[in-house]
Amino acid sequence: MATATMVLTRVKVQRRFGLALRVTVVLALLVLAALPLLLGGDVWAQRISRAAIYAVIGLSINTLTGHAGQISLGHQAFVGIGAFAAAFMASRLGAPLGFGLAAAGVAGAFTAVVIGLVALRVTGLYLALVTLAFGLTAETTIFNWREFTGGGAGAFAPRPAVLASDHAFALLCLGVLGLVLYLDWRIVSTKTGRALAAVRNNERIASTLGVNVTGYKLAAFSLSGLIAGLAGGLFAHWNQIVQAMDFEFQVALVWVLMTVVGGLRSRLGVILASAFFALLPLTLPNFLSSLPWQPPFLNEAVYHVLPPFIVVVMLLVVLRFFPGGFGQLLRPATDWLAGKRKQ
Amino acid sequence: MKRRQLLKVEGLMLRFGGLQVLNDLSLSVREGQIVGLIGPNGAGKTSCFNCLTGIYQPQGGRVFFDGRDVSHLPTHRRARLGMARTWQNLGVIDALTVTENVMLAQHQRAGYSALAGMLGLAGTWHRERELRRDAAEIIEYFGLEAVADERTGELPYGVRKTCDMAMALASDPKMLLLDEPASGLSPEEALGLADTLRELRDRLKLTILMIEHHVPLVAEVCDYVYVLNFGELLTEGEPAAIQRHPEVIAAYLGGTAEPTEPPEWPLQPEGAPHGTA
Repeated sequence: MATATMVLTRVKVQRRFGLALRVTVVLALLVLAALPLLLGGDVWAQRISRAAIYAVIGLSINTLTGHAGQISLGHQAFVGIGAFAAAFMASRLGAPLGFGLAAAGVAGAFTAVVIGLVALRVTGLYLALVTLAFGLTAETTIFNWREFTGGGAGAFAPRPAVLASDHAFALLCLGVLGLVLYLDWRIVSTKTGRALAAVRNNERIASTLGVNVTGYKLAAFSLSGLIAGLAGGLFAHWNQIVQAMDFEFQVALVWVLMTVVGGLRSRLGVILASAFFALLPLTLPNFLSSLPWQPPFLNEAVYHVLPPFIVVVMLLVVLRFFPGGFGQLLRPATDWLAGKRKQ
Repeated sequence: MKRRQLLKVEGLMLRFGGLQVLNDLSLSVREGQIVGLIGPNGAGKTSCFNCLTGIYQPQGGRVFFDGRDVSHLPTHRRARLGMARTWQNLGVIDALTVTENVMLAQHQRAGYSALAGMLGLAGTWHRERELRRDAAEIIEYFGLEAVADERTGELPYGVRKTCDMAMALASDPKMLLLDEPASGLSPEEALGLADTLRELRDRLKLTILMIEHHVPLVAEVCDYVYVLNFGELLTEGEPAAIQRHPEVIAAYLGGTAEPTEPPEWPLQPEGAPHGTA
């Protein structure tokens, strides 16, 4: 008896101590992550906003591909429509930012549900082709619709006075990222996550367990589209101008692949990979031009295609060595931080 | 006293292209019965289950469940009425742990909407804890505590099969459709299953329709048996009568039955006294 109690007490003490340690580590990491925002200038605030927007996009793809097992190669359409909707609301209607972002989310969700209806009929490779074709079509039609998007000149998306500073805007982007992270966490912790896992793995089994497969697929598409549209709205106000060329197919390709590289269903992995690919185009030219020797073929066009090239190479490495993405590498650390113990 | 019919099937017709899988199949299961569905491989037993649960849409015939015509209801709606099934090749989701699988099976009685769960509204946290506790009870009943947090994909066949059964029960059904519950079990385990099935019927008031090849189990536990051959009902009756039926013997052994000379009896329970043979 006595020994049992002692062991129990020791375990309790260890756990309490462990909890304090874990909280400290998490807080330290958060402070470390916040340093660039606190100490860095506007450039760092802009970079952090961009990284947060990319992370929201990554989580949008994670909802669809990671949770529901549906593929989308046309995510630039959802994000782009959200961006143009927000710009339209801000510059043409003079609506407050909140309404603009709401419109962006609704526009993205609506578009995604249309694709979702197709996804009820086709799966796998064919769905990839359908979404690919949809994204390319949206680029050349909706994004060049002069009245809505301003055509080639682009649509302006001015920020309200409160968010005029890059630091304030970065806080908004981080706030939205926090909200999306919360949604993702609740999804996997409730029946929604289990139902989506069943739909992803075996639709027949899911349906005999009472899961409305059609409903959950459409819900996943609409939620993913909502988050993507929201990210598009943030992107519009981040850049303060939206152009069709911001939403080319290769951008969508980078988004999908960065999510896989980060690790489907791994929030931390998706965020880290998204941040990396958000900052890559900004830092790559400077980095390459600072090298002592430059290959003769380096020019603007090469900078443009390097991120997709790099993400593909990383994808191959990831698929070969740790199929769960970076999230898999981080798992021991995240499990410890979340207080999960090994059996 | 005759008990109420829980499941009734009338004139089921199922065709895949030129292949007639089910032809005018009718059967009924009364409340509290354990009914067997037997027949040679390819007789259409699993296809019949797929029609009952709504996975296949038959070309003709009707399915009544619990007094309702469910012929045109989608699968998940039938499940919500209290129809649970297990699968020949297992109905577990490999990516989830045993606990998560059992909680997945509780989907329809979670008691909150998907949206409420996503937003993390007040009641959902409490319900999740309750569901987890219920799941733990079911897992304990089936002796799966040791593997509760293991992914089912990494577990041996027998354990996954038990998990499948636990899931069928976790959905709180009125009726269990079991597709070969004894496959992969040793003869002793299969007979042990008979006790489990009777306990489920008596304690949980469940009605059971099962596909089974293991004849001693069918003979032991079933109140009534339907024999399917080439998609048609060959015969029906009490297990004892079925075992003497010449056409059943022919269907199982192939060739024609010779009614004058009772053959070496393939459907006899092992250990039971042989008839005249």
